[in-house]
Amino acid sequence: MLIDMPDDLAVRIEDLSITYKINVDTKKTLKNAVMRASKGEKVRMRTVEAVKHMNLDIPHGSVLGIVGANGAGKSTLMRSIAGILPPSEGRITVNGKISTLLALGVGFNPALSGRDNIILGGLASGLSKEEIANKTDEIAKFADLPDGFIDMPVRTYSSGMYGRVAFAVAVAMTPDILLLDEALSAGDAAFKEKSFLRMRELVKEARTIVIVSHALQTVKDLCTHAIWMHKGEILAKGEPGAITEKYLDFLNVGTLPSNDEDF
Amino acid sequence: MAEEKNEAQAPRAVTYAPRIQVFEPHRASLPPIRGYMREFWRRKRFSLELARFADKAEYLDSNLGKVWLVLNPLLLAFVYFLLVTVLRGGSDKAHGFTTLAHILIGLFTFYFAQNVISDGAQSITQGGRLILNQAFPRTLLPLSSAIRSFWQYLPTIPVYIAVVILGKIFIPKADVHIFSWALLWIPYVTACLALTAFGMALIFATMNVYFRDTSKLLSYTTRIWLYGSPVLWLPEMLHGWHRVILYVNPLGPALAATSEIWIRGHAPTLAQLIGLLVWALIAMVFGGYFFISRERDFAVRI
Repeated sequence: MLIDMPDDLAVRIEDLSITYKINVDTKKTLKNAVMRASKGEKVRMRTVEAVKHMNLDIPHGSVLGIVGANGAGKSTLMRSIAGILPPSEGRITVNGKISTLLALGVGFNPALSGRDNIILGGLASGLSKEEIANKTDEIAKFADLPDGFIDMPVRTYSSGMYGRVAFAVAVAMTPDILLLDEALSAGDAAFKEKSFLRMRELVKEARTIVIVSHALQTVKDLCTHAIWMHKGEILAKGEPGAITEKYLDFLNVGTLPSNDEDF
Repeated sequence: MAEEKNEAQAPRAVTYAPRIQVFEPHRASLPPIRGYMREFWRRKRFSLELARFADKAEYLDSNLGKVWLVLNPLLLAFVYFLLVTVLRGGSDKAHGFTTLAHILIGLFTFYFAQNVISDGAQSITQGGRLILNQAFPRTLLPLSSAIRSFWQYLPTIPVYIAVVILGKIFIPKADVHIFSWALLWIPYVTACLALTAFGMALIFATMNVYFRDTSKLLSYTTRIWLYGSPVLWLPEMLHGWHRVILYVNPLGPALAATSEIWIRGHAPTLAQLIGLLVWALIAMVFGGYFFISRERDFAVRI
């Protein structure tokens, strides 16, 4: 297949739509389905149009912030860029290795040690066992784990430690494209500073970061571009300061912008 | 500094390794199969390690836990043996021992298939965070359960052999073979049985995503399935058209062949060999299609 993808782009999204069906029954059981069928009723389904005809180019070396209310389609978009949720229409082209932190605590089995969990998470993301084994100490150090904790069961970790390890794993995979969904809320101010530094290093190496965050200051501080998503569409895109301001206005006053193309 | 070095070595200033991936809508709900299989093969080590870690997590605090894996079917075999012989009122020791050996190897084999199916059925719903966070062929999760079930099955074979050797010492007339050339058929029978069970695990794992009580229902179904399989009764008890029962049961040919090999020391019959292959193919094709065509849904339904 011939792929038309400019070299300077990390991700190209063309006319992307994502729809899926969810079961809105409270009891998702076979028993319930059989009971309904016996009464001649169907299982109640709802079609969610999470992303609608979206076009977006994300260049290498950029940090894209995505803001928007709950249900705007931000997480669905992230999952589709990661290849977890394939498009219903359109196409996503990704140039580079992806690392994700979309659901906190990647594959963490609480009974196993931090080291084992890190290996498991790395294997799931396609690394070899040797590659990950070499990185576990580096990850423990970056996550500020107290001495010996890396070999303790994860159930003994505090929630901060848990989040810091998850973030450390995601950045340690040396991704070309790093997808973070509300991942920066873990950890204290000092760790936040450290993670910002690490992300800036990644960007310097021409790696790309996409962040979904409700913390607008984070988007302002860290991102080079931002988009505001609303009901599956891009409502505005451009300079992070301007986008977060528009979004804040919307949150305060409830008005949607008239002009949505800033760059 | 490192960046400058890279710049000097390569014409482009970036250090990323270009690897273009294209995500497009699936045709007939199926992802491109060649790419899917390539990824499946590339990440097979993940399945293996996941099985190893799941084992480690479960038996972290008790080494005795693993002993129960063998002890449980062993004790159950004795219970069923008592039940069957008491009901039949038989007193012939040699015949009784043959029945015990048949029940034992039948139960071990049935439990292997049952574990592949029931653990595999829960592998997707229990793999929540992995599924939400990583893109990988989801078939790797039930595969991991199947690998783990196989590891649990392996130690039951020496236990069976030990029981038979002991039985032959105390009851020299016992008509049970231990070692014969027919054992060469075991890899074929086990492979077909594993594929059949794995294919069914794919079906139940998918159903469990949509209906969370599938795995509960499965525990009752497998119990009935056991009674309908040639484990507590011998395949030769069926005559004429009744023998069809052996072949409409996906596990029937495997269990009948296992008994034929271990107890009688005979090679499986042609009908059993064909039955094994046919069920393995049906289960893999149907299960594989059912599962892979619904994989996309897993990320939004979990």
